[in-house]
Amino acid sequence: MLKRFFAAMILIFGFGSAVAAETFVFTAIPDQDETRLKERFGKIADYLSKELDTTVKYVPVKSYAAAVTAFKNNQVQLAWFGGLSGVRARASVPGSVAIAQGYEDQFFETYFIANEKAGLSLTKEFPKEIAGKTFTFGSKGSTSGRLMPEFHIRRNFGKTPDKVFERVGFSGDHSRTIALVQSGAYQVGAVNYKVWKKELDAGKIDPKKVSIIWRTPPYPDYQWSIRGDVDQKFGAGFQKKVTDALLNMKDPALLESFPRSKFIPATNDDYKMIVDTGKEIGLID
Amino acid sequence: MALVDLTLASAGYNGANVLHDVSLSIERGEKVALVGRSGAGKSTLLRLIYERIDGEAAMVPQELGLVRALTVFHNIYMGQLNCHSTWRNVMNLVRPMQQEVENIGGIVKTLGLENEMFSAVGALSGGQQQRTAVGRALYQRADILLGDEPVSAVDEHQSRSILESIADAKPTVILAMHDIDLALAYSNRVIGLDAGRIVMDESTAGMKASDLDLLYRG
Amino acid sequence: MQAVWRYSPAVRTSLIFVGIAFLCLIFADISISTVNPWTEMGRLLLGVVTPDFLATESLVNALVQTVAFAILGVVVGNIAGFFLALIFHYRAVRVGCAFVRAIHELFWALIFLQIFGLSPITGILAIGIPYAGIIAKVYAEILEEADTTPLKAVPPGSTATSVFIFVRLPDVWAHFKTYSLYRLECGLRSSAVLGFVGLPTLGYYLETAFRQGHYSEVSALLILFYIVIASMRVWMRRNLLPLYILGAILLLPWGGHEIYADNIVRFFTQDIVPQPLRDGVFEPGALSGFGDWLSVLFVEQALPGAVDTLQLTMIALVATGVLALVFFPLLSPLFFGRGGRLGGHVFLVVVRSTPEYILAYVCLQLWGPSMLPAIIALSLHNGAIIAHLIGRYTEHMKVRVDAPRGLNLYFYESVPRVYGQLLAFLFYRWEVILRETAILGMLGIATLGFYVDSAFADIRLDRALVLILFTAALNICVDALSRHIRARLRLKTTIEHG
Repeated sequence: MLKRFFAAMILIFGFGSAVAAETFVFTAIPDQDETRLKERFGKIADYLSKELDTTVKYVPVKSYAAAVTAFKNNQVQLAWFGGLSGVRARASVPGSVAIAQGYEDQFFETYFIANEKAGLSLTKEFPKEIAGKTFTFGSKGSTSGRLMPEFHIRRNFGKTPDKVFERVGFSGDHSRTIALVQSGAYQVGAVNYKVWKKELDAGKIDPKKVSIIWRTPPYPDYQWSIRGDVDQKFGAGFQKKVTDALLNMKDPALLESFPRSKFIPATNDDYKMIVDTGKEIGLID
Repeated sequence: MALVDLTLASAGYNGANVLHDVSLSIERGEKVALVGRSGAGKSTLLRLIYERIDGEAAMVPQELGLVRALTVFHNIYMGQLNCHSTWRNVMNLVRPMQQEVENIGGIVKTLGLENEMFSAVGALSGGQQQRTAVGRALYQRADILLGDEPVSAVDEHQSRSILESIADAKPTVILAMHDIDLALAYSNRVIGLDAGRIVMDESTAGMKASDLDLLYRG
Repeated sequence: MQAVWRYSPAVRTSLIFVGIAFLCLIFADISISTVNPWTEMGRLLLGVVTPDFLATESLVNALVQTVAFAILGVVVGNIAGFFLALIFHYRAVRVGCAFVRAIHELFWALIFLQIFGLSPITGILAIGIPYAGIIAKVYAEILEEADTTPLKAVPPGSTATSVFIFVRLPDVWAHFKTYSLYRLECGLRSSAVLGFVGLPTLGYYLETAFRQGHYSEVSALLILFYIVIASMRVWMRRNLLPLYILGAILLLPWGGHEIYADNIVRFFTQDIVPQPLRDGVFEPGALSGFGDWLSVLFVEQALPGAVDTLQLTMIALVATGVLALVFFPLLSPLFFGRGGRLGGHVFLVVVRSTPEYILAYVCLQLWGPSMLPAIIALSLHNGAIIAHLIGRYTEHMKVRVDAPRGLNLYFYESVPRVYGQLLAFLFYRWEVILRETAILGMLGIATLGFYVDSAFADIRLDRALVLILFTAALNICVDALSRHIRARLRLKTTIEHG
């Protein structure tokens, strides 16, 4: 009995690591509904498997922090991060680099949206009238749903969000932020503009109930980041191969699921502004 | 040298003295009965003797000290827990060994417990439990047996056969008894206690039950 | 001289607690912030009555994983707890056990996620470690109260191990078994909740289904979960246990989660080292920087978090007591016939089988983030547990033939007799409620868990660890206070329900 048990254990652990050693694993921050994420990255995994000629697997995670931790712990080697999560992840893995970003990610925006009952409308200037309302961010670790909106709130009010608003929440993801503001659970929210547009096209937003009241100035956001040690693990030139595969992604069906028009090269320096902002509001040490 | 030698000993529990100025000496090979009314100090004296003998004696305490969740077989086996390796003890607990079953079978038969050998002690009657406790003391590798009313819950016929097997198995026996006839039948020395003092200490030769009446008067 | 009317100590203590809870309630945020809470509730109820067992192919998998984590976690906790119970007389062991059980399974999971990622080890240890602490304490108590008279009859010279397994163990074995079974039930709940941080158990799918409003799937998941818990005594057989353990090991997803020694080393030497000290303790300014870091962390997070945690705990504790008093007649033969009690049973089983975390999550979705959902979830779950114990207690209660009926029976005959027991259970669960309250912060209520979750979200494990330690310390204090009150009021609980 005991002997068989140990044999089984060896089999499990042995096989587990043997299979895993050949698999290139990636993840992504869970910024939208999970079914959509699985659909999107399932296709990407297939595409990369073909291009890289190796098994590529997508593992879903429950939070932005879990995505960063998985990258840090080498449980994934590649990840689709937001600006802030990417900066955090690369800071904890020496040698890791941003290799590609969406064309739109060079000038990303956050939309402040409000429930129609809040009585706010679109302005060019930062809408100071949001003070005293209830407000929801997206995930605590999001760039477009947390870092940038908090940065602008602090700069315009000179106070932390919990002093500005009657109530501050973290919805968890952008889809949820839209749903919460639309239902009136929160009067105002901050949302990733790409997700907003996608949900609008999908007919999930009722323009009579929720609308945009302010657009932030542009900032760099999402990017693919890869660990620096992939060449050792998967063979010389592997990092280049991954980069090329991402940059050569032309299939509209794949790009549409992000949604990005194309991927362009990126470097760590492109995200210096995110690092500075993060430090300024104390989200990065 | 005497087995036990007490000089003006006192003992008690919970701070109160139950025994006062007791002096006595017991030799190996003696069969002693301690008699007296309840509360006279028999149990306390027995415990005092047990402590003095220090580990050489098997004991049948009044509260029996059985492990209720274990079978009669295992409770009796416990008498020789010190004679086997831990490993063997564990194996025997998990599954009784044939050899042990044979060893203990004899004792179980003497005690009339052969049908209950593998029943949990907790489910048995008071008399059966008492016999199990005697069985454990008999099985223990000790030449001395101390018992506190070891047959109080057993009928007279069975009491006699149990006391006989105790007398056969153990050269030295010291029992606290309340049944005078039995005490006289299976001992060669009677120590009578009253209110924590020894009031008589005589050989049983030629003694009649009525000679002990004074202990139970008043 | 005329006798003066005075409240009994138990009633006085109760009144003080009610007073404190009332004060807390005045300052508490208990608003409903969603605009249409009842439409959402309607959709949820519709989902409850139309469970969709085919919604996802992961349904069975979710349950299997939940059970597998629970079994392995409880087995690890049981073995470790058993051996710790044997050396529980050492002060260091007692303190260590109090410490590990003061930290909630979810916090343990968050910590191990940093080291082992989503490897099954994370889930097994997250359940096993705090359970070892709890089990050690309970087993030690059982051993202490066990019959020691057979020890006197053991022949001298027997080895300590032989004596232990022959004399001590058989006597307590049945208690251990009963308690282990109870722990397995707790383990199933813990395991389900671990899904919320990413392990592949029930909570994982529940969260997704909830987020997307698939209430029929939520309902199906929960119904299956209740069935697993309710039928536990049927499928959990001692002779099948080895099979279950082996099956659990084989079924957990070991593959693809490699464990690197580097990660463990980095966790201890960098991640959890307070940020100002990372370059070395003797660097200029390191210690003063550490002082500032610590004081900011305390003033801005630990203290406000502790205030909210205690506030919510006190309200939830008193609400639990009130609900237990309301619920227990549902199970009592004094008040209801067989049919009536069946309904009460089903209601209470459902409420107490649902982990507080999941209950709070549901209420939060309906009413928005305030203390209200937390109060309701905590008091419902704990109230149902205590009502169940008290209800069973009244089964053996004999009332005179000419006893009053209805409310008079309730107030004059039942409540006075069960009140001591009820207080005992309530104070026993005080610490449990506090631990849960802290955790509920992860759902967005500003208790300590909120700050812990934020620290993990910011990948600041140093802050997370300090806050977790602070939470544990708070827990140990409340536990000590509860023990003190129970001793003063001479309240005693039966050991089976630690």
